[in-house]
Amino acid sequence: MEHSIALKATNISKTFHIREDSHNTIKHRLFNLFNPSRQKNVLAIKPMDFEINKGECVGLIGRNGCGKSTLIRLLAGVYPTDTGEVIINGSTLIMNLGVGMSHELTARENIYVSSSVLGMKIKDIDMIFDKIVEFAELGEFIDTKIKYFSSGMVARLGFSIAVNAGAGIMFLDEIFAVGDMKFQEKAVKVFESSWIDGKTVILVSHSMDVIKKYCTRTAYMRKGELVFFGETEKAIELYVADNQ
Amino acid sequence: MILGNTLRDWTVRTNKLERLWLLAKIEFKLRYYENKLGLFWALLKPIMDMCIYYVAFKIILKSDVPDFASYIFIGLVSWNFFVESTTGTIQLLNTKKYLYEYSNMNKLEIYISTLFANSIGFLFNLIMFVLFYHLLEAGTRGISFNNLWIIVLFLNLFILSLGVSLILSNIYIIAKDISQIWMVFTSFLFFLSPIFYKLSVYKKALPAFDYANPLAGIIINSRSVMMEGVPPDFRLLGFDIVYALLLLLAGLLLLNKLGARAAEKL
Repeated sequence: MEHSIALKATNISKTFHIREDSHNTIKHRLFNLFNPSRQKNVLAIKPMDFEINKGECVGLIGRNGCGKSTLIRLLAGVYPTDTGEVIINGSTLIMNLGVGMSHELTARENIYVSSSVLGMKIKDIDMIFDKIVEFAELGEFIDTKIKYFSSGMVARLGFSIAVNAGAGIMFLDEIFAVGDMKFQEKAVKVFESSWIDGKTVILVSHSMDVIKKYCTRTAYMRKGELVFFGETEKAIELYVADNQ
Repeated sequence: MILGNTLRDWTVRTNKLERLWLLAKIEFKLRYYENKLGLFWALLKPIMDMCIYYVAFKIILKSDVPDFASYIFIGLVSWNFFVESTTGTIQLLNTKKYLYEYSNMNKLEIYISTLFANSIGFLFNLIMFVLFYHLLEAGTRGISFNNLWIIVLFLNLFILSLGVSLILSNIYIIAKDISQIWMVFTSFLFFLSPIFYKLSVYKKALPAFDYANPLAGIIINSRSVMMEGVPPDFRLLGFDIVYALLLLLAGLLLLNKLGARAAEKL
């Protein structure tokens, strides 16, 4: 059943080459032709394989710096992999604090651009436009450039676009930290009521309660390595045991 | 068959064309409606440039090219499109990062939409030129079917600019000072292009440069079709199309190789 798979990763790995002195101009490269820069290689993602089915809600846990964010960028197709390949069936969207919005554009333009990038047609965007604005609680600021918005307003707009437009495969990186308490409540409510139905969701969170509540399967990562991928209870157990 | 499928894929099944147009419109608005003079500035620029060169070459250096103002104007229309689409897009992957760092959007679309926005500017300038040439210059040859060749020439220019834009902006990822180098290179190229020289003088002083410089042929041919109403020089056109396609190919290869890492490097 090839078509029921949303993401398939085969032997993917990622190494970052971090240079101590950045040789990113031609001048610099010429002057240091015989003086190669010292390079540190960080193996961010060690080779791993897995599959994620369509409509599944998968958790991703691990300590800071263990490679969670790098992994979701590989899976979303934002970073290329060094080895292996990721097969992505559908449009992807990474959501942390904001979803790729330009600060030079107004809220209205950002809604159209972001939704269009997510694969929606203009007339479909017209239909959900009011819903997005209402949910983000922007009202009269709809034609204001978002660089004049407060960070909370920007985050609410991003969340609202993602919720209403959405991509087939969503990567949610600590999204329940957006907005004030009232907005968070609303976000959780909409997340529970309709949103996760039919969408493939990869949920990154440090809150074990959130993971336990929504995810059927969970991946636990440690230092770039996929230690465990399976039942949520087991993954959390391992994670907690490791941190003792 | 394949073409038909691709076309259907771009128009009906996905929103690609719509998205390109949406991004182009917003880009155009950002560029021209944000400042006080607005769209007027887009029209004003080639006219002001033309005045400067007119004073320099007609009044001071006594150039004897007929309809010299129009002669410079049509050259500048193409030149400006090229410069805006190359110099103006070197940092494209940086300024438009918000479009690709959160999703798997195809980066090529960003380039095409930006060049679409420039094409709107080109169209305005071309209309200005046609009005200027036919209303203000004396003894013109009138409108001819051969004028339509400008569409082919523009496609050639578009592909050329897209190719160069892809090459430059992807090199920018690994070498930030490409913008300074390109600035020097464009001013050199400007004086090596037949924008304000008399064609016979240009050909004599720089033999084979009308073939070696991919922009020269476009400028020469656009004068033939728009001012003289004759078909373009097809050999020259053929050369320029091959140049454009080769550069586009190089650009696409670079986009795949370097551009894929843009999100992590920039």
